[in-house]
Amino acid sequence: MAMTNNFTSWGRPFTDAKMDMYGGDITQRYQLGSEHLQQHSDKFADAVQKTQQPIVTGTSVIGLKYKDGIMLAADNLASYGSLARFKDIQRLHSVGSHTIIGAAGDMSDFQHVQHQLESLVIDEYCHDDGHALGPAQIYEYMSTLMYHRRSQLNPLWNAFVVGGVDPKSGEPTLAYVDLLGTTYSAPTIGTGYASMIAIPLLRRLVEDRKEPPNEEEALDIIKTCMKVLFYRDARSLNKFQVAKITKEGAEISPSMSVETEWGFAEGIRGYGGQTQ
Amino acid sequence: MVFRNSYDSDNTVFSPQGRLHQVEYALEAVRQGSAAVGLRSKTHAILLTLKRSTGELASYQQKAFKIDDHLGIAIAGLTSDARVLSNYMRNQAMSSRLLYGRPIPVNRIVTQIAEKAQLATQQYGRRPYGVGFLVIGQDETGPHLHEFSPDGNAFEYVAMSIGARSQMAKTYLEKEHEQFADSDLNTLIHHGLQSLKASLQQSKTLTPQNTSIAIVGPPGPNEQGVKSEGSFRILEGDHITPYIDALGQQQQQQQQQQQQQEQQTAADVTMNE
Amino acid sequence: MLVIGIRVNDGVILAAQKLLDSKLLVPGTAKRILSADMHASAGLRADGKHLQTRAREECKNYRDNYMSPIPLKQLSDRLGSYLNAYTLYSSVRPFGISTVISSYDKNGPQLYAIEPSGLYWGYQATAVGKGKQLAQTELEKLKLNELSMRQAVFEAARIIHLVHDPTKDKGFELELSWIGKDSQFKHAHVPAQLYQEANEYGKSQAESGRMQE
Repeated sequence: MAMTNNFTSWGRPFTDAKMDMYGGDITQRYQLGSEHLQQHSDKFADAVQKTQQPIVTGTSVIGLKYKDGIMLAADNLASYGSLARFKDIQRLHSVGSHTIIGAAGDMSDFQHVQHQLESLVIDEYCHDDGHALGPAQIYEYMSTLMYHRRSQLNPLWNAFVVGGVDPKSGEPTLAYVDLLGTTYSAPTIGTGYASMIAIPLLRRLVEDRKEPPNEEEALDIIKTCMKVLFYRDARSLNKFQVAKITKEGAEISPSMSVETEWGFAEGIRGYGGQTQ
Repeated sequence: MVFRNSYDSDNTVFSPQGRLHQVEYALEAVRQGSAAVGLRSKTHAILLTLKRSTGELASYQQKAFKIDDHLGIAIAGLTSDARVLSNYMRNQAMSSRLLYGRPIPVNRIVTQIAEKAQLATQQYGRRPYGVGFLVIGQDETGPHLHEFSPDGNAFEYVAMSIGARSQMAKTYLEKEHEQFADSDLNTLIHHGLQSLKASLQQSKTLTPQNTSIAIVGPPGPNEQGVKSEGSFRILEGDHITPYIDALGQQQQQQQQQQQQQEQQTAADVTMNE
Repeated sequence: MLVIGIRVNDGVILAAQKLLDSKLLVPGTAKRILSADMHASAGLRADGKHLQTRAREECKNYRDNYMSPIPLKQLSDRLGSYLNAYTLYSSVRPFGISTVISSYDKNGPQLYAIEPSGLYWGYQATAVGKGKQLAQTELEKLKLNELSMRQAVFEAARIIHLVHDPTKDKGFELELSWIGKDSQFKHAHVPAQLYQEANEYGKSQAESGRMQE
């Protein structure tokens, strides 16, 4: 269980105790500066090891399909363990004119991917032949990249949401790929904590309605989810950006936040057993 | 050993006129190959090839090859060199599908083989490829026709011919090319066959055996079992009989024979007088 | 075939004369002005394509190492070394091309020309290829510091048309590209509307010039 892909362990604190604050056995997880804690006994003790854990991490990304296209959101926090290390990083990145990727997990791996995609976009620009990579193609590229890296036992420690609309056909793409090379596509997507906390909300608010939401409604849904995530996810921040991609193009908003209520539960109605 | 020119034993040496003789000989290999013609309309791109056979007992040499669902080539020149390049093209086409889930844009794959061919004109120990292609395909920007030649150039055309006596075919194409854009498939094929026929020696005719037609674009009225997107297909034998019949070669020949006979009789008459 | 480059305060214009070898060619294809990055470009064709590929690799390599676009002087130097290497060994032949490259980098608008030998110089304006003397004479008459990018596009079109002799030479297609303020600092072919205006202007100016002679 040295190489965990369990996102609940991403962004947890380093400690010098054998057990971390969540009860996990850290000698099984953390390699940096903890060699003395290691009990190597098997044949593979001296084997080459690649990335074993993410270091500076971003938390969930959410995305949904709405009437005019795709909307994505991610907060501006990069955590170093449980330390809120950077509060102004952008986790949404535009690729070409009609695609946005949102990244959870290791931020330096994400920066590497951004750089690689930038190079890809320039290559495409230089062909100068009327062909451009749409969201579906960029997603295919990302999936191949992620599966390739995990097959080298050297994964990019991320979960990505790719959202976009094909400028020619108008076909929307909303899809997921993670460090294992796992891929899927759905009308609502959430990574990490959002896959547990936001997905039920998103499904109810987006998928259970007859007509897809319009832009205003979609933004409301996104805000609701970001609020709930901020309440429940200890590695999140009430400062986030929203990206929308339509046939006309892609656009990432300035940072925004939502109103939250941290009063005593005493004053809150409709919570737990207390219904009146 | 006798050289045709000086400065031609090596492709890394320019002639004083700034020419590369080895490359020009490679172009000659293309000119020796049997003819191929390509045309493009707004909806289709097609290839028509004249196949050779070495004798009565031999089959006809294949001239058109599929590269991918949306892409194919016709060759003139050394078939073995064509296999090397078409193998490379198939690899490139596959990797585009694997990496981007996108059928490779036609101009890009042509540029890629052209770049490969260019290297062979500049480096010692290599010789230029002895084969030229006509490449047809369809992508997001519609149907396309490109010519690839061993000098490392690749151009896009509305119509083009390569191979033996292809100048005759080209003359036909240059005369008629303005009509091609709006032609339907059958008309386009008809123009193509006319053009290919123009390249034939006097005694030869196009037959369902020596001709093949390759198409990308929606199926025509004579085609069955082709999907509406119209991926690359090669028609041969019985499938092209209707197109060949439509040329009316027999009638033309008969007419010619008749004319000849008439002239003969006329001459006889004059002689008798 | 002629390629010219003009550097003005706000950007750089490249113009190329693409002779048409066949009337069956599809218009707008087989371009002779190529991009090597969002910010650089190469002018003069099979060898040109080879050099573009190399230029693209150099640009990519620089970005991978330094996370910023390559300054044109450095690109010229790297490409110059590459071309020079092809003159040094019996196993390869030199490139049969002269290249004009343009860019707008942190030092402003840049224009360089590279010879097949590998020698390169920076320019205010330059011409390479057939008819470069006449083109250079025309370029020297321009007040480069007073021209806007748009005006320079018209001048470039005029010079290309002027050098072309329709009675002697084959038909040609004009190519125009720019990089600078008017192109959001990306190298791009000029917009269709401007292209048309400049092409018409160039044609009529060249014709009236010939009439006077």
